[in-house]
Amino acid sequence: MLKVKSLSAGYQGNDVVHQVDFEVGSGEAVMIIGSNGAGKTTLFRAMCGLLVPSSGQVFFEGTDISGAPAERIARLGLRFVAAERHLFPQMTVHENLLLGANPYRPDPKTMSLILDLFPRLAERRRQHAGTMSGGEQQMLAVGRALMSKPRLLVLDEPSTGLAPLLAQAAYEALGALRKQGLTVLVAEQQVPLAMSFSERGYVLENGYIKLQGTAQELAANPIVRRAYLGVT
Amino acid sequence: MSEKLANNSDASPLETVGTHDARSLAALFIPLALLGIALALVPLRLGDSRVLMGVAVLGLTYGCYTIGFNVIFGSTGQLFLCVGALAGIGGYGAAILADTAGLAIWASILLATLAAATIGGLLSYIAVRRSLGVIFTGIVTLIFSLAFEALTLGLGEWTGGDTGLSLRAGADTFLQERIPPYYLMLALLLSFLLIHGLLRRSHIGWAFRALRDNEVAAELAGVDVARYRVYAALIGAAMLGLAGSTYVFTEGRVSSTTFGFGEVDIVVLVMLAFGGIGSLFGPIAGALTFTIIDEALIQFGQLRYVAYGILVIALFLWMPRGILPTISSFWRRARGPKQNTVAKPIQSIE
Amino acid sequence: MIANILDGIVLGLQFGLLAAGLTLVYGLGGVLNLAYGQMAVISAIVITLALSAGVPVLLAVALGLFVGGLAGLILDLTILRPVYRLRGEPRVLLSLLLTLGVSFIIDGFLNWRYPLETLSLRIPGEAVEILGVPMRRGSLIASAITLVTFAALFGFFRYTSLGRAVRSVIQDQEGARLVGIYPHRMLRLILVLSGVLAGLVAVTRSMVTPVDAQSGLSITVFALIVTVVGGLGNVAGALLAGIILGIVSVIAANLIGTYISLIILLAAAALTILIRPAGLLGVKE
Repeated sequence: MLKVKSLSAGYQGNDVVHQVDFEVGSGEAVMIIGSNGAGKTTLFRAMCGLLVPSSGQVFFEGTDISGAPAERIARLGLRFVAAERHLFPQMTVHENLLLGANPYRPDPKTMSLILDLFPRLAERRRQHAGTMSGGEQQMLAVGRALMSKPRLLVLDEPSTGLAPLLAQAAYEALGALRKQGLTVLVAEQQVPLAMSFSERGYVLENGYIKLQGTAQELAANPIVRRAYLGVT
Repeated sequence: MSEKLANNSDASPLETVGTHDARSLAALFIPLALLGIALALVPLRLGDSRVLMGVAVLGLTYGCYTIGFNVIFGSTGQLFLCVGALAGIGGYGAAILADTAGLAIWASILLATLAAATIGGLLSYIAVRRSLGVIFTGIVTLIFSLAFEALTLGLGEWTGGDTGLSLRAGADTFLQERIPPYYLMLALLLSFLLIHGLLRRSHIGWAFRALRDNEVAAELAGVDVARYRVYAALIGAAMLGLAGSTYVFTEGRVSSTTFGFGEVDIVVLVMLAFGGIGSLFGPIAGALTFTIIDEALIQFGQLRYVAYGILVIALFLWMPRGILPTISSFWRRARGPKQNTVAKPIQSIE
Repeated sequence: MIANILDGIVLGLQFGLLAAGLTLVYGLGGVLNLAYGQMAVISAIVITLALSAGVPVLLAVALGLFVGGLAGLILDLTILRPVYRLRGEPRVLLSLLLTLGVSFIIDGFLNWRYPLETLSLRIPGEAVEILGVPMRRGSLIASAITLVTFAALFGFFRYTSLGRAVRSVIQDQEGARLVGIYPHRMLRLILVLSGVLAGLVAVTRSMVTPVDAQSGLSITVFALIVTVVGGLGNVAGALLAGIILGIVSVIAANLIGTYISLIILLAAAALTILIRPAGLLGVKE
């Protein structure tokens, strides 16, 4: 479904990620793990059109989307939920969700599905997004992305700014979506959370893919255990 | 933190400036002398025509305005859209002091210049204290301009309202002969250039010293920026007031259009666009070129503004490296809480 | 006092409409359009020419608004393209300088070609009494047009998906792109809209004071002041700022004198900017 080929990207001519290769198959849940500053966000921004990659290619369902603008990629069905969430703070939850639908025409069935999945959002439909708590904002960001019935959901650090219990709840919600057949790619530095959720993963370190494998393989890898799972 | 380190490395090219005093002094004085000689010869060609000498004096006056504006905007990034108003405080102030209050001409010019400087400094102080950006400084000073224009029109008994004032003071002196006003204005222009040149050197030296004494000094440099801005506004406004008041006496009259926003500020902006914001001699080149072109195109009346519009657009589009990077680097320096005064090498806009 | 407030509201609505087009373009695109007043003047001249060619009033006005919108579109397609490549304050500055150039071109051309054309839509008829205060018909119709325009604007932004999309770009451009909204298309739409609004400014203003080729600069300047006082990019703020400044100005004019009222208006604007740089209804970034 998604295939990234030797992608390099960065800011002002300095590459932050170097020749990254990875892929996500249909229906899979894939994680990219790495510490703070490993280049996860840069990688995702380059993939989703917010940053023009300096070299390499990105294919989404066979279409070459390398360097395409974010708005076009979003319309193709690849939805990116950034760590900063990028909600519309002075709009209500309802309006934020409506804007997530693509193109401009919300489907009431999707809306009620999402409100079933996140009952908190239903309670707060009339509240402005900017006044909600971090956990609610995260739900809204995911909910907004789901409004378009995306083919692939890409999440950058969904646990950012959330208390441990809320972070866990966020991943449980993602797990529920997975069961309904959604393809998910997630970047996470809280590795245990991502491990519990994904089937496969890649380890990004200093901008390079260092390791890859199934969740079990990675969990068993001594380097991963020491660096990311806190096991000595 | 990384920002600070980056600035340290940026600063290294400046050492060459600091260590070649003699050469940079020559680089200031030689062109200044050449310009002075060239401009001093102008009356030899135009001296017979009273009209053309009037145009030349006006051109020099606008040159002075442009330098004053450049000291404020070009050197410290404060967009003062009240050039005409500050010059007008000088002009109207001196005219009223000399004619109505009966002060000596030199004393009225001095007092009016001080008034302009004070108000310029005050505007800058407010802008710095409220940390207004370029745009907001522009808008507040634009509002000040409009208020000044309304005042000059409203206080008719003092300013003569729409028709303006004809000055009795200075009428029989050298100030209103054919040639001497030209040399007076030229002297003003050259001394303004000299002051601006010295200021630039001291500014760079100052900033360089602040940064060299590493972090603590760099922290303190933020304060220096604020203070330097107010100083620059004081000096620039004094230049505007002095040029405006002197011009009024050479012209023998003052009216609401002498210092109008459309007549002064916009023309000065265009001149600065011609010459390059922030450079020392650029504004003079701009002012002189503009005066000549304007005189040449005068037969086309209003239509010549079309040409200026096209020219302004072309300049800002195709010469942005000379103009915009200066602005953007000022902006970058001004926006962070940790400001510092290093004159960075001109950078491109990312 | 009631008379003052009513007159102030009439003037204030005019101020608010002045600012609406300018503030939208700034809020959405970080573009400060200094040729805004000239766009209004173009519309005014087009309407005048159409009227003197015998075109019926409503059709002439429609033509004027169309040309205003067209002017906005042309700005978007030409001079603003390089502006869109920049961000932040350099972007605002370049937009300001380039549109200043455009305003010279328009001003120069119109003052040369149509120096004497003046748009003055006189509404005949007796003054109408409101709350015991006689109000000129022209002022009332201009105010009504302004109110309807604002209602339409608010309705558009609140209840239509296109309006929501425009607001989303104002609030978070990156977020808007991530849900598949093309910011540049929204910006083009808003530039056209601001041109139409500039045309409306010409129409309503000409019901109260004549609009001619020299009016451009003062329209721009007042629009700019009201925009800043209301909060850059805030349509409701523009309306509120317009009404407050209008009332302040009328009361000052009646209590003290005409030219002082302008100065008080300006001082009020400057103070608001200094006390609340984000504007009356602005939100801190």
